[in-house]
Amino acid sequence: MEVTLFIHAADDAFRILENAKMQAVGLLDTATRLTSETRWMEEKKVQTILKGAQETRSGLQNFLATFVMLMAFWALLSGKFDAFHLSLGVICSGIVAYLSHDLLFANVRVGDGRVIARRFLGYIPWLLYEIVTANFYVAYLAVSPKMPIDPQIIRFKTKLESDISWVTLANSITLTPGTVTIDVAEREFMVHALDRKVAADLDTGEMEDRVAHIFMEADHIYIQDVLDVSRIFAELKRGI
Amino acid sequence: MIDRSDDIIIKTIARIFVPFIQLYALYVIMHGHYSPGGGFQGGVILGASLALLLITHGYDEIKRRIPEGVIILLGSVGVLIYAGIGLTCLLLGGNYLDYGQLSVILHVDPAHARSLGILGVELGVGFTVMAIMYSIFFDIATGGILPEDQKREEKVKREG
Repeated sequence: MEVTLFIHAADDAFRILENAKMQAVGLLDTATRLTSETRWMEEKKVQTILKGAQETRSGLQNFLATFVMLMAFWALLSGKFDAFHLSLGVICSGIVAYLSHDLLFANVRVGDGRVIARRFLGYIPWLLYEIVTANFYVAYLAVSPKMPIDPQIIRFKTKLESDISWVTLANSITLTPGTVTIDVAEREFMVHALDRKVAADLDTGEMEDRVAHIFMEADHIYIQDVLDVSRIFAELKRGI
Repeated sequence: MIDRSDDIIIKTIARIFVPFIQLYALYVIMHGHYSPGGGFQGGVILGASLALLLITHGYDEIKRRIPEGVIILLGSVGVLIYAGIGLTCLLLGGNYLDYGQLSVILHVDPAHARSLGILGVELGVGFTVMAIMYSIFFDIATGGILPEDQKREEKVKREG
């Protein structure tokens, strides 16, 4: 009798314990689900804030930047600075900037525009020097009686990252006598070179390094200006 | 039908140059009465910039900026401006396109009125030439079939 009672009591205790365990597991499950849901929502919220900040910043800024550049171009062309012609310029620049404000700065990378412009201006003399020396070399190849050319097509993968830097490199290669860019596809350049020396010069990658330097792709300092950070921090503090 | 070009060089250069080409075209139109150029030349340049955009960025990109209907409308509006200025001069008692008569409406001296009248006519010519040049290019490029029509036809063919 005593023994059966004891067994019953033990059974009951065991059942109660089991129930409690189940409840605890259920509670834990809900808790995890809730946290993951809130986290997902928070992440989504942060993403929309980031995206919104980027878009509002870029749309108007692009329009204004395009407008200013076009207005300067107009003043350069027109050369008349009376009110009538300047107002015509403002109207025309406005129309063109409205129609194509997303063209000029389509996939612009983030970086200081003034630094890029300065570095680009610094690149031009070097390129001119290269063109002049390559001119002499190609002239030597052409007039020497044996004409020691060795035409070849070389392919190389580039480390450059944006379309504008690919185009700058491709056009620099084409401008330099002796080498012509045939195709740029999927980061791969196909270049025709007139001579082994010209090809070797290209292979040193100096031009590529310099182009990377212009567009700030060598030194990774372009992160700093990605977003308007203060606004996002304020939103984060307030909302989450 | 013209698809967008895959060549990164052509695309990027076109992307950077199109706004400047368009502004240059407008400059040629607006300064037609001072310097060489005028409505026709400017209109052709403007049409060429649109053709360049069509070749490099494809039909959808153009349609997003300037729909086909607007281009056709501009073609007609240009003729309307030209004929309107001419007829206004006629109604004011001068010859057709006798800009001097416009001084009555514009409240300026006849010489200035001539200048403004020519500018208006140039503008009309520019619009029409741009629209027609682009339309001709577009029709040759597509064979007169819009991509929307093509898609609709294919859909009908699939379902029927």
